[in-house]
Amino acid sequence: MSEIKKFYLTKEGLEKIKKEYRNLRSLRLAKTNGEAPKIFESEDLNPEYLSFQEDLSFLESRIVELEYILKNTLLIRPPAGKKQNIIDLGAKVTVEVSNQMDEFTIVGSLEADPALGKISNESPVGQALLGHRKGEEISVSSPIETIYKIRKIRYLS
Amino acid sequence: MKNIFKFLIEIGKLKGKKRRGWQIHKIKNPETTAEHIFHLAILVWILGKKKKLNIERAIKIALVHDICEVYSPDLTSYDAVAVREKGRLTIKDVAKIRPKIGRPTIKQRKKLEKIKQKLEAGAMKKLTSKLSPEVKGEINQLWLDFEKGLSREARFVKQADRMVNLLQGLEYWRKYGRIEYKLWVRRAKEVIDEPIFLEFLKEIEREQIEKKLNQR
Repeated sequence: MSEIKKFYLTKEGLEKIKKEYRNLRSLRLAKTNGEAPKIFESEDLNPEYLSFQEDLSFLESRIVELEYILKNTLLIRPPAGKKQNIIDLGAKVTVEVSNQMDEFTIVGSLEADPALGKISNESPVGQALLGHRKGEEISVSSPIETIYKIRKIRYLS
Repeated sequence: MKNIFKFLIEIGKLKGKKRRGWQIHKIKNPETTAEHIFHLAILVWILGKKKKLNIERAIKIALVHDICEVYSPDLTSYDAVAVREKGRLTIKDVAKIRPKIGRPTIKQRKKLEKIKQKLEAGAMKKLTSKLSPEVKGEINQLWLDFEKGLSREARFVKQADRMVNLLQGLEYWRKYGRIEYKLWVRRAKEVIDEPIFLEFLKEIEREQIEKKLNQR
């Protein structure tokens, strides 16, 4: 039997998934009843809902996927006390790499968005940073070695 | 039929659209957007099979993921480096950007990303406006899926996109030595988390980098 995949999500990420799930279910219901869905009246409507309206099978598969994600979510919570000095999921980390400063937030794969500095805990750099403290250096190598010096760790509550 | 013909003429322009990132690196005769799409679609097809994805959907996503570039600029992280951290960034400002090689801050990335999304959505609307509702709906839905990473297929194509960029960058590094290969490989290890591509990345390192370094 294949292992059940767990999805690490921040509070914000979980809210986003829940909202999408609610909206898609109401879209499905409206489609079934032949009505114009209420979510289309919202000003902050995400354009993807319009595309879901075009393809019912995609709408169904997305709802099933969201249900699976919601059933298997592990919420990322900021650690307590001294554990805030250690890099864990949800940490905002400032690093020095090749004499340049950079900032990453370590998130689960679903929320990773490197363009916005959110890197996955399953990426080689994300994995290597986990469990380390301010002042430590980590090396990501083979065949080129890169050193990341950890300058700052923060958690957003 | 007339509208499909016009759409194909427009899409065909991607065969001649040189990718901006390589132009910034002053690569002689760099790949075009259409060539990049071809490379990506093949990678998605072959490796997607191992992931038991809906290959038809994944290949279609790869085919449409950059078609907005017929009308929208191919903005890169080098453009983000040139963005001012303070103040508003407008579409007019973006047109004046002189890209710089370096690492953008989160603020710079966020600002450029917002404008990029706007420009690309507008370009998609213009590109598909005359197509039949069915074709237009499918193309836009696949493109949005890629942008938002809604399906497993879209998330896989996104990772594959990063992979082919690395592959192309390393090819130019081997040919012309103009690419900062260390920076590229480092970046790949920050952004790639799909196990199949991590395995593929190791192979690239063995084949492309070790061999080249051993030749020196």
